[in-house]
Amino acid sequence: MIEIKNITKTFKREGANESLCAIEDLSLSIKRGEFISIIGTSGCGKSTLLRMIAGLEFPTKGEVLFDGEPISGTSPNRGLVFQEHTLFPWMTVKKNIVFALKSAKRYEQYGSIVDTLLETVGLRQFANSYPHQLSGGMRQRAALIRSLAVSPDVLLLDEPLGALDSFTRMQLQDEIVHLWKERGNTMVMITHDVDEAVYLSNRIIVMSPRPGRIVEIVDVPISYPRNRGASEFARLRTRLLKRLDFASEVEHEYYL
Amino acid sequence: MKTHIIKLFPLIAAILVILQYVFVPNFREFTPLDQTAPTHVFTWFMGFVALMFLVWNIAAFVSKKADEKLRQAALIYSAALVLLLIYDFATLKTGILPQPFVPWSDAILNAIIRDRVILWRSVLHSLRLLFTGYGIGVTLGIIAGVAAGWSKHVRYWVQPVVKVLGAIPPVTWLPIILVVANSLFGGAVFLISLAVWYPVTSTTMNGVLSVPKSTFEAAKTFGVTQFGMIFKVALPASMQFIFQGLMQGMSVACTALLVAELMGVEAGLGWYINRQRGWADFAGMYGAIVIICITFLTVTNVLNIIRRRVLRWKDGEA
Repeated sequence: MIEIKNITKTFKREGANESLCAIEDLSLSIKRGEFISIIGTSGCGKSTLLRMIAGLEFPTKGEVLFDGEPISGTSPNRGLVFQEHTLFPWMTVKKNIVFALKSAKRYEQYGSIVDTLLETVGLRQFANSYPHQLSGGMRQRAALIRSLAVSPDVLLLDEPLGALDSFTRMQLQDEIVHLWKERGNTMVMITHDVDEAVYLSNRIIVMSPRPGRIVEIVDVPISYPRNRGASEFARLRTRLLKRLDFASEVEHEYYL
Repeated sequence: MKTHIIKLFPLIAAILVILQYVFVPNFREFTPLDQTAPTHVFTWFMGFVALMFLVWNIAAFVSKKADEKLRQAALIYSAALVLLLIYDFATLKTGILPQPFVPWSDAILNAIIRDRVILWRSVLHSLRLLFTGYGIGVTLGIIAGVAAGWSKHVRYWVQPVVKVLGAIPPVTWLPIILVVANSLFGGAVFLISLAVWYPVTSTTMNGVLSVPKSTFEAAKTFGVTQFGMIFKVALPASMQFIFQGLMQGMSVACTALLVAELMGVEAGLGWYINRQRGWADFAGMYGAIVIICITFLTVTNVLNIIRRRVLRWKDGEA
């Protein structure tokens, strides 16, 4: 459903004449209902890639198709959750969600599920709280269900759990799997956390920086719910870490 | 064990003021024909103040909230009353401060009561002028500020205007306005709105610029319209900054108002002060100053209450 065809993205550097190549000749196709994770070190263009799917940026060359149509801007069909919660601080949790639904003109359709969603992530009694009254984890949950409430076909997650402590992270990972299984939408998530990628996704896209390109696509054929301690899990993790050059003890032998 | 004595300080201070006023001999004799001859108006007034503190003390025994508030405010109120004590001592009781240029509390109080009708009209006239100018300045300031925060092109033109004109005290233009303006009221309104426009425009612009890009992007993914982006996202998101401008604007507006009234406008509190000075009615002059203080304090307080209401979503503003 999402077709990324040979895209290249360059940014003009401010003041200088040179331009920075963020992504070079990248192609990828994402199927409906898939959970895709994109991992890679900083500067590998993964955020840029996600923003292009969201319709906040456009490729310099190539095209991004959504259901066969080139993406020309943002749409409620493609939701985006940021690393820093982007809840509107002047609205209560519930008003945030209602505002999103009304802006997307889907309030009539989905207004009734707001309470259910709040219940699912345990925010029922915080519906009328302002974002500053919530903990980091609760804010991120609220931002997540705000984006989910409008029922996007694709939910794009830009390191949504990056700012949380590891216990809250794991809790939220379970909630994300739960919400994804329940709603059956497509998920595309950026993460720095290899464990998170292995725990959540069907496929993991490993990217390398300068210029950003895909170095490997790893299938994760483990059924849900997954077990963080399973041996398969550890094997995949080691493989990914190696690919990212973080488990290079083995490779030192070549240098010697 | 918390001491209770501190709560009695304001009451004691108020009683001391009364005792001094009634029993300490004045610096000179007064005949009943003397316009400023001491009356019992001040005694009654201070008696009322003392009574208020007594009631507050009693309330503090019943309500925890009243108790806390009284403890908090007791020293400040006491200090204010002690200042009043010293003031009366330096004027009515000893004449240390040059007489008759510094009238004592009783004389000021009597002047306010004597001229209450004209003072009340002056207050209304001043407030009408203030809020007409303030309203126009705030409206134009928010429009200009949002537009400048929103669009680079508008910012290109607005920013230098704010920078250059903002550095010049608005009352500088008063002589020109007095010469050019058709009506003094209109001229003063123009001056006040000009004075308010700078701070409101600049804080609103900074407010809109300070909204994180991701806030707008999130709104964009929900399909918020251009109209909604401005009125439902940019404006509320920068409300905290806008209120800074509104507060600053109010203080410069009050200055501009007073200067305009002192210099030309023929009504209002500034005008009244000038008139009493002309008649060498110093008590009336001081009375008007007291009324001005009360008026501006009230206006600023009301603005503060509105701000707290609007910004109750903010951390620490509740």
